[in-house]
Amino acid sequence: MHILLIEDDNETASYLIKGLKESGHVVDRASDGKEGLFMALDSNFDALIVDRMLPELDGLSLISRIREKNSDIPIIILSALGEVDERVKGLKHGADDYLAKPFSFSELLARLDAVIRRNQHESSNSLLELGDLKLDLLSRRVEREGKIIDLQPREYKLLEFLLRRPNQVVTRTMLLEGVWEYHFDPQTNVIDVHISRLRSKIDKPFKGKQMLFTERGAGYALRYDE
Amino acid sequence: MNNPFNLASFRLIFIYTMLLGLSVGLVLMFLYFTTARDLELEADQKIIEKVEDLNNIYLRYREQGLLNYIRSETSRATLDIYRLYDSQNNYIAGNIKSEPNDIKINEDGWIEFSYLVNENGVERIYYGRGRNFITPRRNLRLIVGRVVNDEKILKERFLYGSLWSILIIIFLGIFGGYILSRNFLKRISDINKTSKKIMDGNLQERLPTTKGKDELNQLSSNLNEMLDRLDSLMTNMKEVTDNVAHDLRTPLNRIRTNLEVTLMSSPDIDQYRKSFEDALEETDNLIKTFNSILSISKVESGTSDLDKKPLSLKELILNMHDLYEPIAESHGIKLNYEINEDIIINGNYNLLSQALANLIENAINYGCSNNNPSINVGAKKNENLVSIWVSDNGIGIQEIDKDKVLERFVRLDTSRSLKGSGLGLNLASSAVKFHEGSLKLIDAKPSGLIVLIEIPLEF
Repeated sequence: MHILLIEDDNETASYLIKGLKESGHVVDRASDGKEGLFMALDSNFDALIVDRMLPELDGLSLISRIREKNSDIPIIILSALGEVDERVKGLKHGADDYLAKPFSFSELLARLDAVIRRNQHESSNSLLELGDLKLDLLSRRVEREGKIIDLQPREYKLLEFLLRRPNQVVTRTMLLEGVWEYHFDPQTNVIDVHISRLRSKIDKPFKGKQMLFTERGAGYALRYDE
Repeated sequence: MNNPFNLASFRLIFIYTMLLGLSVGLVLMFLYFTTARDLELEADQKIIEKVEDLNNIYLRYREQGLLNYIRSETSRATLDIYRLYDSQNNYIAGNIKSEPNDIKINEDGWIEFSYLVNENGVERIYYGRGRNFITPRRNLRLIVGRVVNDEKILKERFLYGSLWSILIIIFLGIFGGYILSRNFLKRISDINKTSKKIMDGNLQERLPTTKGKDELNQLSSNLNEMLDRLDSLMTNMKEVTDNVAHDLRTPLNRIRTNLEVTLMSSPDIDQYRKSFEDALEETDNLIKTFNSILSISKVESGTSDLDKKPLSLKELILNMHDLYEPIAESHGIKLNYEINEDIIINGNYNLLSQALANLIENAINYGCSNNNPSINVGAKKNENLVSIWVSDNGIGIQEIDKDKVLERFVRLDTSRSLKGSGLGLNLASSAVKFHEGSLKLIDAKPSGLIVLIEIPLEF
């Protein structure tokens, strides 16, 4: 993926570029808002990572300007202002996601992946499918290997969230925000237990390969390898 | 600033006094014109009638009749004045013996004059007012009038009285204003002095207040409250800095030592990986702690723009139960909820959720050590108070530790074998304060701890 990073701090930028390249992305960098806007409108990127506070043109205005051009390019905003209301402000200006500094790099990668794919295929299909695991959004029926799986409402929601992001790493924070709509970090590993419950229902009883994986240091992923 | 005359209040009083004096003057003038002047006009009218009578007498009885009439009138005591002259201006008859002086003739025919009267050997000035009556044949001239001494005195008294009362009003007003302003000024200067002391760094000083409830007192007590608030914010800030200094240094030091020692030892990829992973975990914990401190002080300072919206407590508790039930179960703990009716309160959903999450996590980590551990989360409405509780049946907290655990970074588990920053209960308590509520730690029967949150219902 071709990504434009608009970040004024050289050190942060160089780490991010290294990490993103390591993960297989092609990265261009702009060091202020004006340059960033110019580059974003000039060439074709798959996603933008924008710092909230930038010289010349501030991050939020930059995003508004890009959105005015009717561009629906995925944008993630990075900010040292981590409050919930700041986050809402960022999303209102047209960002697709918001990440508070300091963040873990795997969180950024997972979210970047999510916004890019969301943009690629917003599925209108009522059947979510990965390998032999099927989830029918209308009848709320879940089955694997043709057998119906009985899920609690929250487990269903969790699985739906994962199935909408197949083969993608999803972080604990993303799950907490997406499935439970909480914007705080619990001190305990609450999500892990929910995942292992789900795993015991969709993986353990079946002969097929494991699908719900724990990604060390990052989160979880629902995968199906042929 | 020390001169009361410069005070706005004094100027106001001055203008006010002047206006009052003016209006008193106007009222007195009005009184004069409606009473005294009326009497005067009535008396004048009588003289005019008398002149007409005399004219009639003259027309009928001629000079002799006039003379007789005057003689009979002046033979008894009267306030009327008669003085008759012949054509050579010689005095013939009348009741004033001396020649009138200071004769003033008005345009409408009235004459005013003074004359001397010998009263028991003492000469006294009398004042008169009247008209000239001249016979058609011009052989006689008569001054007909009345004594106006009393009227004149009344007029003068009225005038002087009015002047004096206005002067007294103005004097009292200005003097009173001066005194009041000086009093006011004294209090202002007290406030000034105290503010100066506070500016000089004496932050414990407070403005003087008295028992009264006037504006100045209100201002002082408001300023005092403001100072108290600032003081508590400063203390809060100082606490945060102290806490950061004490409790963030330790993990930072661990990270530093870990990295330094790893670099010193011979390069080994597995060793490096292990060190990095440790450092990463420590950093993540540091970030969490740091975020907690920030959100606590943000909530406590009251400066955050966290908004309150109507929210369903039932939904909040059910969602919490839903999130924590699996992990509680994995610890062998039963997590129950106790809520019957739905309760709508005005609050911040995320903040209250976080508070409850912290309390449940505490209960899971510390509160359950007996055979049949269970945690109850519930809410109930009593009149205009909402109670929310998280209770466990574990070992509870000793009475002496109850205040301590609400403080920052306090962990009763001194070995610190369990993960945690010691901020959970503190954040919960700040969140409750944000909702103008209270958080109490109560012993459960037969054992365990109840964390009781009480929030006033306000709509």
